[in-house]
Amino acid sequence: MEQQGSIEGAVLSLTDVAFGYPGEGEVLHGVDLELAAGERVAIVGESGSGKSTLLHLAAGLEAADRGKVHLTGKALAGLDEAARTRLRRSRVGIVFQSFHLIPTLTVLENVMLPLELATDLDAAQRRERAARQLAAVGLGDKGGREPEQLSGGEQQRVAIARALVHRPALILADEPTGNLDSRTGEAVFGLLLEQVRATGCALLLVTHCDDLAGRLDRVLRMQDGHLQDLAAEASAT
Amino acid sequence: MNSLLVKAWLRDWRRRPLQRLLTLVGVVIAVAVVLAVDLANQSAQRAFDRSMDEVAGTATHQILGPARGFDEAHYRDLRLAGWRDTAPIVEGPARLPDGRTIYVLGVDPLAEGPFRGAASDIGDAPVQRLVTEPGTILPPSGWWAGSGMAHEDGLTLETTAGRFEVTLLDRAAERDEPAVEADDEGGSLWVTDIATAQTLLGRPGRLDRIDVRLDDADIDGFAELLPDGLELVPVAARDQASRELAQAFRINLTAMSLLALLIAAFLIYNTQTFAVLRRREVLASLRLVGAGRRALFGVVMLEALLVGVIGTLLGVLVGMGLAQVLVGQVAQTVTDHFFVVAVTEVTPRPLALLAVIALGVGLSLLAALAPAWEAARAASPGSLGRGRLERRARRGLRGLAVAAVVLLAAGGVMLLLGTGGLVGSFVALFLLITGFVLLLPLVLAGVLRGLARLGRGRTLPRIGVRSLERSLSRSAPATSALTLALAAAISVSVMVGSFRDSVEQWLGQALTSDVYVVPVAPAAARSGARLPADWGETLARIAEAESVSTGSSQDTPSAVGMIDLYVVEPHPVWLDYLPLLRAEATGEALDRRLRETDAVLVTEPFAAHHDVGVGDRLEIRVDDGRRMFEVAGVYRDYGSPQGTVLMLGERFYAGTAGAEEVGSFGLRLPDDVDAGAVIERLEAWLAERETAAMVTRPGDIEQESMAIFDRTFAITHLLRVITLLVAFIAILGALMALQMERAREFATLRSLGLLPGGVRGLVVFQGAVLGGFAALAAIPLGLGMGWLLIEVINREAFGWGMDLRWPGREIAETVVLGVGAALLAALIPAWRMARMRLVPALREVP
Ligand SMILES: Nc1ncnc2c1ncn2[C@@H]1O[C@H](COP(=O)(O)OP(=O)(O)O)[C@@H](O)[C@H]1O
Ligand SMILES: [Mg+2]
Repeated sequence: MEQQGSIEGAVLSLTDVAFGYPGEGEVLHGVDLELAAGERVAIVGESGSGKSTLLHLAAGLEAADRGKVHLTGKALAGLDEAARTRLRRSRVGIVFQSFHLIPTLTVLENVMLPLELATDLDAAQRRERAARQLAAVGLGDKGGREPEQLSGGEQQRVAIARALVHRPALILADEPTGNLDSRTGEAVFGLLLEQVRATGCALLLVTHCDDLAGRLDRVLRMQDGHLQDLAAEASAT
Repeated sequence: MNSLLVKAWLRDWRRRPLQRLLTLVGVVIAVAVVLAVDLANQSAQRAFDRSMDEVAGTATHQILGPARGFDEAHYRDLRLAGWRDTAPIVEGPARLPDGRTIYVLGVDPLAEGPFRGAASDIGDAPVQRLVTEPGTILPPSGWWAGSGMAHEDGLTLETTAGRFEVTLLDRAAERDEPAVEADDEGGSLWVTDIATAQTLLGRPGRLDRIDVRLDDADIDGFAELLPDGLELVPVAARDQASRELAQAFRINLTAMSLLALLIAAFLIYNTQTFAVLRRREVLASLRLVGAGRRALFGVVMLEALLVGVIGTLLGVLVGMGLAQVLVGQVAQTVTDHFFVVAVTEVTPRPLALLAVIALGVGLSLLAALAPAWEAARAASPGSLGRGRLERRARRGLRGLAVAAVVLLAAGGVMLLLGTGGLVGSFVALFLLITGFVLLLPLVLAGVLRGLARLGRGRTLPRIGVRSLERSLSRSAPATSALTLALAAAISVSVMVGSFRDSVEQWLGQALTSDVYVVPVAPAAARSGARLPADWGETLARIAEAESVSTGSSQDTPSAVGMIDLYVVEPHPVWLDYLPLLRAEATGEALDRRLRETDAVLVTEPFAAHHDVGVGDRLEIRVDDGRRMFEVAGVYRDYGSPQGTVLMLGERFYAGTAGAEEVGSFGLRLPDDVDAGAVIERLEAWLAERETAAMVTRPGDIEQESMAIFDRTFAITHLLRVITLLVAFIAILGALMALQMERAREFATLRSLGLLPGGVRGLVVFQGAVLGGFAALAAIPLGLGMGWLLIEVINREAFGWGMDLRWPGREIAETVVLGVGAALLAALIPAWRMARMRLVPALREVP
């Protein structure tokens, strides 16, 4: 996968982004965020403060009402649904809180899916690469299983493999440990971090666990529809 | 009941109006189709019965004579001898200026009292005028409304005897009453005085029959009174053949309506279970906050009841409208074949209403029952998962398969034993169909699993196929409905196609002349119309014909009741063209046998209906009384469903002066003659005659016959379209349900990078898989049904044999139609899914 950076080298940049759901009040009032290649950033904040919404905007699943979103240098605003989808599938991998594996596919096929959608590798190559990625998350022997036959922690590891397999520039993870008990969550988080490091991609992670957040390069807090840099705050006081 | 609970459940109508409406539409359409078909069926029967009653009235017997009628003096003699319960009749077809055919019934209004509905209703006033003013006629009361005519207007009627100006009388006007809104069109009998009818129909001094009412004790004494040449025939015998025919026609319609019922049941089941399953999270949450099981169950059933009742009511309304269209079709068929009847009113029978209410309301409740029970019983949302329901459904497959095998075996055995006659054959047919359909889900599951295995490595098609398999309780009923609809289409094309081919081929063989001269009358009434027999020589001279044939068909009493006797004077070597099935001799030997001894040929339906074969003997009334005839052969003929006896003129008129009138002339021309010029010469000569006649060529007759044929079966085509429509909705419902249930998966795929177009493709692909499966499954089912309809049911009902035609083109069309219907049905959910907003669908479940 070509690691195409932006002119400024940012993988993701949001400038004065505002967004509200139809019929509801505004959720984000002007968010600024810049993520350099390979940078790992955590977002914390109260439930309902708009963290997930921010990730959705970053992934191009929703379009901002105001402001600019650039994904690896490309402005999302000018793109139609199909073009946004194409950009997303080549540059972004997403890990959801509740895994969102496709129940009608085997574990290995789930991991192959992004390769099929985003690359022109042939079937054998796809299989081979997916198997390797699966082995990397410690599930090399579970490829033929159905997702429902795995534990929650295992399912999330599959989801991590699926998010990384096509070598995206950016991983978006929305409370990836939220549905797991603390011990499993810890393990999965460690794995995610390790894999992100290994592939060198950037990570934007939402979590409500300060402990986990502290292990990333930077921690931002979502409050009143704005993002605040916690490190900057700390050094200011 | 807790009102918040009801609110929580029913609010979904506001949130997803389209889905909930589909549930309602399912019930409406199912009820409408079943009711409409039943109504059409019912009205046809009623129209038929009434036309029988009006013509035959309450007479117990009829006095019949030679085909050309008998002297009216016999009637006077009977009255003078003290037989008061007698009524003379002269009857025949006539044509209105607008081309419609009516049936003129000439009665003695003073003698009619006890006999006929239409005629006895004449009331007091017009009787005087009918009797005293020649040329007055009483149209049926329902006719006036659309006619633009008024009381005492003049009208020209065309009959075989020529054109006549008649004066219309309106009973209402004569009685000085306000015109009553006719509750129905009152049949199509135009009543007039016997003297007027004799003039109109060209039978001065003659009667066609005398209706008589006799006690059993009087019959013998009365029969002795009759002069030679007249015969007393019980009315029932005359009706029998026609009634049987109507029965057969009804049976074809009933087959279609049962099929519609089956498909409708699928539709309702499908949409109702979907309506409940779709909202199982609502149920689960309500359960979590402490709603009681019974209350939840009640709420779900309440909705099902509401949908059932409202849907049924709307369905009844729609069905009545639909019935109007069907009834028009059916009435036309009845007119072509049996009698001239007017379109009758459409009123549902109580029994039919009960049936559709049971279908609409009962099935709605039943379909909601299982999922409602499941939901109410469940303790936690997790245990309500679709997966669990589907696993249960898959376990149920085995039970279904066992039931299917039992049904198939029972149907097969019934068919092999051939017991139960027509009804038995129908029961067997439906056992077989139901068995086959019950087997489908298992087969579908197997096929989908096979496809999934084949698609290993091709992720997207595999998702499509596997999600169909996982939602088998969705996809299987819809596929079954489509399969049934397509199979019905195939079987009808096999049957109608085979029939049509056979008829066409038969017509080609039967019409052995180059030019025909026939009376001017509609096809339905042609057998009653006559031409002077002495025209033959002149026609032959004018046409420079090689040979002349004549043919007349007439109703004649026989040992087996009234029969259709076809008296012919054929061309030379005519037997070479007759499609003989069985005969005691062939060619010249048979010709001699028929000319020189009392022998006849009978048609295949005749042989079947009366259980006669070659060598059997049959007493038939000919020109000078009853004689015994031997059946020398059976031939294929589709001319009359009751069957026909063919007799040569020599035998019919043996010992009498010979024919005075014939039904038609056939002229065979030399090869080098210009037929067009011959026709012009014949037409010029005919124009100067008093008797209205016309020249036709075999092509015209063929065309007219095939047109009648096509009209007869038009209703089956219409039903086919409706059935297909229902199946289309079933598929649409199933795919919608499927996509809604899998919305999260689709959203996930989209988030992983599947384009909107890819989503559309995936949904359409699923439609294609279901449609393709249904089409493939429909081919064996449809061919089997077609074969049964032809070889068992039509033979049983009509006695018609036909050459089976395997309709390659129709099968191909059906496959295309099935896949097309499924693809079309897939377009709506495909479009919706592709435009789906991703974020709500992806929202994390708590
Ligand atoms: N699909 C939606 N429609 C309307 N409002 C929504 C929708 N999704 C989220 N919201 C609202 O937007 C706000 C932010 O939600 P979200 O981004 O999910 O918060 P967080 O992830 O920080 O808990 C919340 O108030 C929520 O109610
Ligand atoms: Mg969130």
